[in-house]
Amino acid sequence: MESRKPPPSPLVDSYVVPGDVVLDLSEMTNQTIKLGTGLRQECDTIQATSAGMLRLSKPNKYWVESSQKRYVPSVEDTVLGVVVDTKPDNFLVDIKGPNVAFLPVLSFEGGTRRNIPKFEIGTLIYARVVKANSFMNPELSCMDAAGKAAEFGQLKGGYMFDTSTGMSRMLLSSPTCPVLEALGKKLSFEIAVGLNGRVWVNAPAPSTVILVSNAIMRSESLSGIKQRAMVENLLERLS
Amino acid sequence: MEHLRWRPSVNEREFIESALQSDLRVDGRHSFDFRKLKISFGREDGSSEVQLGETHVLGYVTAQLVQPYRDRPNEGTLAIFTEFSPMADPAFESGRPGESAIELGRVIDRGLRESRAVDMESLCVVAGKQVWSVRVDLHILDNGGNLIDAANIAALAALSTFRRPECTVGGDDGQQVIVHDPEVRDPLPLTIHHMPIAVTFAYFGEGNIVVVDPTYKEEAVVGGRMTATINSNGDICAIQKAGGEGVMSSVVMQCLRIASVKAADITSKIKKAVDSYTTEKALKKVKRLPASLPQKINVTDVTMEDKGDGELETQTVKTPSDVQEISKDPATTGKASSHEDAQPMLAESSNAEVKITSSSGAAGESEEAQEIGSPKSLKDAIKPKHKRKKNKK
Repeated sequence: MESRKPPPSPLVDSYVVPGDVVLDLSEMTNQTIKLGTGLRQECDTIQATSAGMLRLSKPNKYWVESSQKRYVPSVEDTVLGVVVDTKPDNFLVDIKGPNVAFLPVLSFEGGTRRNIPKFEIGTLIYARVVKANSFMNPELSCMDAAGKAAEFGQLKGGYMFDTSTGMSRMLLSSPTCPVLEALGKKLSFEIAVGLNGRVWVNAPAPSTVILVSNAIMRSESLSGIKQRAMVENLLERLS
Repeated sequence: MEHLRWRPSVNEREFIESALQSDLRVDGRHSFDFRKLKISFGREDGSSEVQLGETHVLGYVTAQLVQPYRDRPNEGTLAIFTEFSPMADPAFESGRPGESAIELGRVIDRGLRESRAVDMESLCVVAGKQVWSVRVDLHILDNGGNLIDAANIAALAALSTFRRPECTVGGDDGQQVIVHDPEVRDPLPLTIHHMPIAVTFAYFGEGNIVVVDPTYKEEAVVGGRMTATINSNGDICAIQKAGGEGVMSSVVMQCLRIASVKAADITSKIKKAVDSYTTEKALKKVKRLPASLPQKINVTDVTMEDKGDGELETQTVKTPSDVQEISKDPATTGKASSHEDAQPMLAESSNAEVKITSSSGAAGESEEAQEIGSPKSLKDAIKPKHKRKKNKK
């Protein structure tokens, strides 16, 4: 059996809608493909179940990237959550998903029964999804895989606003998204982006925070050049 | 419980409050700025869609003939109904109207009805028997804060484009109501004396900070809220101050001054939108005429043929069902049907008479439209003759 690469789906990097046949398995023999969100196997075909851009991570990982208001948790996503309740073992955290997520009180760096952090209701937390399936509430952790705090934990001050999941993915993309690059040249601010469509911005001056947040919210439907022009326009008005 | 009301995080709450202390709003507006207002209309008269920033409200007006209330026999009725869909906000429950839904309905109802913005007496058809009951449905499609103002604008926009069918009183006893088909007679608009505009103020930090048109997030942090319904003349139609922090009377007076400026501004926006909609609608009507001219020629052809052979005439006279169709007024036939059963010939003849008066009374244009618009042009052509026969009998 000669080892040849599986032919990539012709729809990669284009928009798919539910029902689109992404791959025909009958033509592929002895190959493994991995399916991510928005795809499902239907007999001998792989079909899209959500609308969005079909992505391929070489050699064989496929998923559909969509932009929506709600968030479907998946493992290893970094999210911004709001504490809605505290229980002896868990903090209940709202991550814009279908269910509240659990954040075990011990899942902090050096966390023991003795030093449980005190989070009041409404605390903003930057965390990582460690467990996500459709049967249980998702589970969060404030440690990276090595058990270090690594920027995770409570976010103090600043302002949090909601965008779509697609927007937050765009902000996290590399190379840096044009709107952030343009803003970063002129202003200094701190930003945390959760894949659940929440963005936190902090800066010494409230006016900077407001400008940055509005620039980001407005840039969703703009191209790179338009984003830069828009930011320059905003900065001019400020000065 | 999953369906808790959305609460902002501590960070948001603190930031919104601290930014307001330094006269900044999180969406970059000034304290007394409204968000962008967009008014659009549906295909049918009496439907409007209002977008106030993220807030999205659909207004729909319908009317029907009902018996008036006993204490007001010569006035129509106006009722406001609200529909809060859970799609707009997870905090809204389907089915049972929540506290905010009732408050919204009441505030708009008070502004519109109790200030007598819509003329009720012109909705009377037969005193004590038949009046128009106007129903305004307000559907909240997206909750981005300040639902009251958006819903109020939607209600006004829908009411100002609404057209009710014209109706006249006739029949033997002079009590029978004939509702004219919109194709035959142009429907009538409602008489709107003035436009009561709701302007909502939000108070923060012990009532020292005042902003208009609060967003969803600002509403979640707000200390107190006041809605002033005011028209462009500066007449105060209603004030709603629901709970929250107390406000100094001087602040209330200041708010009312601001509200009257905003009301004039929004009134002109609504009027502009309504005007452009009505002119567009009128233009569409004009455009239809040239296309239908050839059809008119056809009609005359048919009459020519009819005169040639008498078969068609006799056919129509034979079948009573056709006679009903000829009177071409679905509402009338529906209303008079019980009457007809008892004394068919009389009712038919009276109906036919009414038909004659209505067609002669209407302008030439509408008669043309009537002939052209309906596929029954053949029967229409025969009508005069047929009537003559009836009268002879």
